[in-house]
Amino acid sequence: MKILVAIKHVIDVELNIKVKDGQLDLEGLQYVMSAWDENAVEEAVALKESHDAETVVISIGSDDATVSIRKAFAMGIDAGIHVSDPNLRYPDSLTVAKIINGVRQDKNFDLILLGRQAQDTDNGLTAGLLAEIADLPFVANATKIEVIDEKKLKVTRQADIGKEVIELSLPAVISVNDSINEPRLASLKGIMQAKKKTIETMDAGLLGIDSGEASLVEVMEFLPPVARAQGQKFDGDAQEITEKVVGLLINEAKVL
Amino acid sequence: MEDFLHLNDLLTDEEKIIRETLRKFVDEEVTPLMPSAFERGEFPKKLIMRMAELDLFGMTLPAQYGGAEAGYVSYGLACQELERGDSGLRSFVSVQSSLCMFPIFAFGSEEQKQKYLKPMSEGRIIGCFGLTEPDSGSDPSSMRTRAKKAKGGWLLNGSKLWITNAPIADLAIVWAMTEEGIRGFLIEKATEGFFRNPIEGKLSLRASSTGELVMEDCFISDDQLLPGTDKGLSAALSCLTQARYGIAWGAMGAARDCYERALSYLMERTQFGRPLASFQLIQKDLSEMFNEILKAQMLNYRIGRLKEEKKDNYVMASLAKMNGCKEALKIARMARNLLGANGISLDYHIIRHMANLESVFTYEGTDNIHHLTIGRYLTGLSAFT
Repeated sequence: MKILVAIKHVIDVELNIKVKDGQLDLEGLQYVMSAWDENAVEEAVALKESHDAETVVISIGSDDATVSIRKAFAMGIDAGIHVSDPNLRYPDSLTVAKIINGVRQDKNFDLILLGRQAQDTDNGLTAGLLAEIADLPFVANATKIEVIDEKKLKVTRQADIGKEVIELSLPAVISVNDSINEPRLASLKGIMQAKKKTIETMDAGLLGIDSGEASLVEVMEFLPPVARAQGQKFDGDAQEITEKVVGLLINEAKVL
Repeated sequence: MEDFLHLNDLLTDEEKIIRETLRKFVDEEVTPLMPSAFERGEFPKKLIMRMAELDLFGMTLPAQYGGAEAGYVSYGLACQELERGDSGLRSFVSVQSSLCMFPIFAFGSEEQKQKYLKPMSEGRIIGCFGLTEPDSGSDPSSMRTRAKKAKGGWLLNGSKLWITNAPIADLAIVWAMTEEGIRGFLIEKATEGFFRNPIEGKLSLRASSTGELVMEDCFISDDQLLPGTDKGLSAALSCLTQARYGIAWGAMGAARDCYERALSYLMERTQFGRPLASFQLIQKDLSEMFNEILKAQMLNYRIGRLKEEKKDNYVMASLAKMNGCKEALKIARMARNLLGANGISLDYHIIRHMANLESVFTYEGTDNIHHLTIGRYLTGLSAFT
């Protein structure tokens, strides 16, 4: 099985994000692999360990996306592709899907794994758009992937009404939920060996995609997240506090 | 903490990944354990095998001896992230790596390297380093532990105090005075005449195991002498130079944790109708903390690169250790004060860092001794020998 994992190198949202003049202030920010994509990488490595699979990651964006590609190597991924283009710093989901599809066709992958959404934008569009463009079966939000045979997978997904168990034939696209696995921490030896692997660099133009024209969506303005309001603190006797808080939950918050 | 000076631009991809990986390890697997480990006065032993899986022991050593062949900036970043969790955890890694694996690698025979280094990198053998004695601290050449030549080996008598990991160690590197000067011996825990006693009642580094080593007519065979330690005290001191470099980074990890926790607390807590962070006196403290962290990180980073280029010296390690520990302790005390009453609660982590840093400030060369080391370098005049 040949598995392609699409990973995004995103702003570390645990840091204080600042907005200046309607744009993200990029000063002093740090970047990490999007959390759900780590689940996708872990799943690919687990499939490689339990079955015979060749694993490749792709990341689209600026030069420093190589950090996330090397992190995937350190977790056990075999090879990496970096699609670098100055116009692709913040591409829209459709552009990303087109590029991944170009690489998929070029290299003949059986399974494309992605996180259910990117940690920075929370769009969750790329996997669905990719499946549509590529005309492939698609399961979103997978919580379990089992191999039936070389051409078939059994995939469990979580829905509000319960779990769905789906059988699908390869090639296919699957986006994963964070409950699918616990991404491993790379060991230092893994990290040091990862630097010896080469990353294949590809140009979006060679895949027939004009990165300057491609985006159909333009972000007009960023607004900072609303600061959390100050909480209330209650002191005194436990019973009195309990009565007071329950009263507030019923009468003011109206949640009970 | 934001990357104000774009330090990231100076790091390689693998250094960034090591830092990020260890940050996650500490946030998810270390910090939640530490308040109660500190309160109970126990080292969380389950972290030993986990740290071994991550290849944190002897990480700068060659692969043939179980090392990860990481650079010194990587080692520094690892120490910084680990000490964000707890100084005791970083101390464990410093002792295992810089004080035990390093001397076996640098001064041991090939047989000793083969016997000990790989199991130590895998966390199967825990080491401790015995130099300090009850009456010999800053002046190690005054040590009373003696090794007398006997048939086929040596007879050791004496005791070592304040030894990190002593109660849980499988192997001790003990420095003893011989007729030829101070030499290092490898003592396995089951050796006859070798005793280890825990030190109770510490109010600092409580989540680190500290103890005493006692040698009473303890026979050590010739093949357990570190053959490369025939240059007097310099071998023992070269181990400390290694460790001091990691401590300089580590102290800034604890300082960063205090600063970050204080900043977020001050942004959220309001008094007199506005956030505490909006008051001038508080902003003065925050800007001083921020400034000292940035300065220390740049100093540590530069010395790390010089170590990688083999252009460093022991005075640099003294300078970085002195600066890092002094400023980290000041930052922890400021943060403790800024959190008011909450600053003394284990739930807010700062008091734990502050108490730990009192030890880190003192061990591996006191602040005074590092000043004198630098003073001797500047003047050529020794104020302490």
